[in-house]
Amino acid sequence: MKKIGLKRAKEEEDEQKKQSVCEQVLTFNMSPAEEEEGDEDVSDSEESVYSGLEESGSDSEDEPSANQQEGRVLNEEVEQLEERVLNEEEAEQREDEYEKDSSDEEDIRNTVGNVPMDWYKDFPHIGYDLEGRRIYKPIRNKDELDQFLDKMENPEFWRTVCDQQTGSDVVLSEDQLELIKRLQRGQFGDVSFNEYQPSVEFFSREVMIHPVTNRPSDKRSFIPSLTEKDKVSKMVHAIKMGWIKPRRVEDDSRGRYYDLWTNEDSSSILNKHRMHLPAPKLRLPGHEESYNPPPEYLLTEEERALWEQQDPSDRKLPFVPTKFSSLRHVPAFSRFIHERFERCLDLYLCPRQRKLRVNVNPEDLIPKLPKPRDLLPFPTTQSLVYRGHSGLVRSISVSPSGQWLASGSDDGSVRFWEVCSARCVRTVQTGGAVKSVAWNPNPAFCLLAVALDSVVLILAPSLADGHVTSSSERLLKSQQEAEPSEGVSCNWVETKGEELNQWIRLKIGHPKVVHQVTWHSKGDYLASVMPDHSSHLQVLIHQLSRRRSQNPFSRNKGLVQNVSFHPLRPYFFVATQRSVRVYNLLKQQLTKKLQANAKWVSSMAVHPTGDHVICGSYDCRLSWFDLDLSTKPYRMLRHHKKAVRGVAYHRGYPLFASASDDGSVIVCHGTVYSDLLQNPLIVPVKVLRGHVITQDLGVLDVTFHPSQPWLFSSGADGTVRLYT
Amino acid sequence: MSQLQARFFTEDKRYVVDNVPFSIPAASQVQDLSNVINKLLEAKNASHSNLEFDFLVRGQFLRTSLSTHMETENISTEEVVEIEYVERITAPEPEECMMHDDWISSVHANDEWILTGSYDKTARIWSVEGKAVMTVAGHADAVKDVSWGKRDGLSSVLLTASLDQTVLLWEWNSEKNKVKARHCCRGHTGSVDTVSVDPTGTKFCSGSWDKMLKIWSAVPTDEADEEEEEEAADRPRKKQKTQQLGLTRTPLMTFSGHNEAVSSVLWSDNEEVCSASWDHTIRLWDAETGSMKSTLVPPRSSSIHFFYSSLHLFLSDGSLVLLSLTSHTGWVTAVKWAPSHEHQLVSGSLDHLVKLWDTRSCKAPLYDLAAHEDKVFCLDWTETGLMLSGGADNKLYTYKYSACQTDEGA
Repeated sequence: MKKIGLKRAKEEEDEQKKQSVCEQVLTFNMSPAEEEEGDEDVSDSEESVYSGLEESGSDSEDEPSANQQEGRVLNEEVEQLEERVLNEEEAEQREDEYEKDSSDEEDIRNTVGNVPMDWYKDFPHIGYDLEGRRIYKPIRNKDELDQFLDKMENPEFWRTVCDQQTGSDVVLSEDQLELIKRLQRGQFGDVSFNEYQPSVEFFSREVMIHPVTNRPSDKRSFIPSLTEKDKVSKMVHAIKMGWIKPRRVEDDSRGRYYDLWTNEDSSSILNKHRMHLPAPKLRLPGHEESYNPPPEYLLTEEERALWEQQDPSDRKLPFVPTKFSSLRHVPAFSRFIHERFERCLDLYLCPRQRKLRVNVNPEDLIPKLPKPRDLLPFPTTQSLVYRGHSGLVRSISVSPSGQWLASGSDDGSVRFWEVCSARCVRTVQTGGAVKSVAWNPNPAFCLLAVALDSVVLILAPSLADGHVTSSSERLLKSQQEAEPSEGVSCNWVETKGEELNQWIRLKIGHPKVVHQVTWHSKGDYLASVMPDHSSHLQVLIHQLSRRRSQNPFSRNKGLVQNVSFHPLRPYFFVATQRSVRVYNLLKQQLTKKLQANAKWVSSMAVHPTGDHVICGSYDCRLSWFDLDLSTKPYRMLRHHKKAVRGVAYHRGYPLFASASDDGSVIVCHGTVYSDLLQNPLIVPVKVLRGHVITQDLGVLDVTFHPSQPWLFSSGADGTVRLYT
Repeated sequence: MSQLQARFFTEDKRYVVDNVPFSIPAASQVQDLSNVINKLLEAKNASHSNLEFDFLVRGQFLRTSLSTHMETENISTEEVVEIEYVERITAPEPEECMMHDDWISSVHANDEWILTGSYDKTARIWSVEGKAVMTVAGHADAVKDVSWGKRDGLSSVLLTASLDQTVLLWEWNSEKNKVKARHCCRGHTGSVDTVSVDPTGTKFCSGSWDKMLKIWSAVPTDEADEEEEEEAADRPRKKQKTQQLGLTRTPLMTFSGHNEAVSSVLWSDNEEVCSASWDHTIRLWDAETGSMKSTLVPPRSSSIHFFYSSLHLFLSDGSLVLLSLTSHTGWVTAVKWAPSHEHQLVSGSLDHLVKLWDTRSCKAPLYDLAAHEDKVFCLDWTETGLMLSGGADNKLYTYKYSACQTDEGA
């Protein structure tokens, strides 16, 4: 189908071509006969139609003649005159112009005809008149000087020209001069000729009643020309054979023009210019800046008072709109320098470049944290409240078996609780605000260290099996070393009588107020902290079995807040106000100094592996240190609203907790991988609330159950709470 | 869909209606159905007085409208629905309140007497009517669990387990009202938290904080075992001096396997002991060979620390958790199956509530008993339909419970 259609289209095209060619042929045949009338008309219209197919060479040959015809009409009159009159330059031009022209009129003064006058240069005559006599050249003996004199003296000199034909000088008349002037101006020579006479539109779009020509059409215009047919058939054959290719359509797709900047490098200078940001513009002055602002722009009394109270940066307007009766009364602008300076600052600080914003889904920026539900178990709900203390409970400690809980309070009592029933089984009145309690972590002993005032008490609450009780007895009964070592003044006193019934077995007197006690994991050594700015005697380490005390530090490195033993190796952690120092106890030297990035460290806990430390600080932060990684915190957690008071690690589960003055305990899941290359994963999992904030103090201490994922917290409201 | 085809049936001979399908509105509630049954019964028996009924559709109590219940349970509404009805269990009525001097840690009751253990280091015997009969003092520390042993005429054996790591075996003569410590069972190295006598009354099992279970003989003997004496001689002299109540007894068998303290033990039959522990497992032991038979690990998410004493719940369940009843807001400290009803149980919790459950409606408890003002620690349930609960408010409440009628009728 398609092929047939194509074929038909082609045939049609061919036919059209044939027709057009025929028409062309007809006009050609016609043209010689009707040269005078229809020539212009036909050639114009036909050419425009057929120029696409046929070379228009035949037409172009006709054109000059047509032009000449027109020109002849116009220049007819001028011709003669110019021939004679125009100076040499013009004559040359004219020679060109009339090269092929043969004029009918002959110059009767000289009959040599139109020959170059140079030929007569060497002759005395210049030509022949009608009778055949020689025309002699006028005697020209004027030299340059004569000519100059003539030019100067003869008033007619400027209008005297030399006639080439006769060789005589001719003085031009006024009329002739006028004519020359007119011609030079491009006007018609005839003064009376009207250039702008009304024209008659013979060849208009209107069909006239009477034809311009009334000649009947030639017969040949109705008979197909055999020669044309022959020609056309040859061409058709050539087209069919493919010898003539249809004219190629100009293909613009490749394009003479192409985008120069398509492959432009985006980082090029041009691109930078495109991202240019114009300098910020000043706001145009409004009505309020007027010297005579409308009354609604004037500040009322309250507004003015408010304006004066406000911080300059918060003000809506940097000035007070003021009204003046006339422009003359407006004073000099007092803030001019200030305002100019601010403008300069604006210009100086304004962004100069548009930052390429990276298109990132905000979800992707959040680190992928596991869901808290997958991290179970961790404490979620408050299960038990241990009530009984009348003062704020500063410190709590769980026995290594997990059965008993000891709490020390400001009311001067230490209470022992059964964990599972919240039953208070023992109450020991110590007679002073208890600062810290610490249960001996060794399950072979049942001892509790209590810090109050400047004494550390060792309690044996006999809450364990007989073997344990007896072994702790043995430890307490051991002999004291003879010499008080290194000048440390600690007096170890065995208690008697009444206090013995209160399970108080030993008193270790300190020179200063003790704030914290902590045990070594073996249960023999005990460290106590006496914060003091001015002394190097801040930390004491006691050995229970030999009843010996020593001061490990000879220099004051800052206010000691907290100390802790490494759970496995002989290291000792000392938290001062700003940093945590790690000492090697065997080599007796500083191993590491951890920068806490906090203003005041409040508490510290060491991970059961000993490789990680968390520090709580009074400026609401919790920092996690990875000892292998860096001395800077691996992670800072700022979840608390108020000062962090206590931190704790769980011994078995990957949990840690922080207690704060905002009354909440935050439990975090902190997985520590045995693979050293993998950093700990810290996920906050639960906020536990329950404690009532009293006197701006919330939760004071926090500790985990040794085996269960349970959390104990003690608060300023005098309660201890268990979360499970 | 507004009407349903339902057929009513009951096990109770007194309230039988004709076994024909009825067309009832789908939106009808329990009250509507109860009215229908009452109408039917009145038509049959003029002297019938109005009763409240509860309805079971495929073993589940109807608590919402019939249509929504069937939708949630995926029961087709095209067929005739079989609806069982039972007389509604009336609420337990509080009867007596027995005041103690200290927290009540445990309670065990038989037909006539109630034995309670308290944190004031004593156990007490009460009559069912609430009269104090006897105070059994002898422990050096709080009594954690008590249990009645074998009863032989007027004299009966009772056991008290204490924080002082011993279990005391007493013999009590109800007529003379004399109690005598017969044996002091030593061997645990932690507080003994639980004690349970086997169904024959010849042995008992104790569980302790030291992660051990021990089987002891529960038969009082007059001769003290010689070996025990020897062992006793090893003990610190002080202890023997201060308190040597009865003859020292050593365990017949010791089961170790728990990783944490044992919180509860129970005999499931003569040969099998069940134990619950703080390590979140329940273990079954063979009492003859002493080997562990199986370990049940309850799912952690549902474990609101029921390991403390919720052993009873799982006894009949085999190795699968069939139900988890979640309504308490605190630790569940005690659970007990009803002795006379196969579907009912009570639970006590630290949230001060005692709840009565039916396994056929596990979404919500049947009744909440809010008598206590403090933590509930112990529960018991007698054959005569008496429920007992004690707690940290030093009070032992008894409730009259009348759910047994249906069983009598059956």
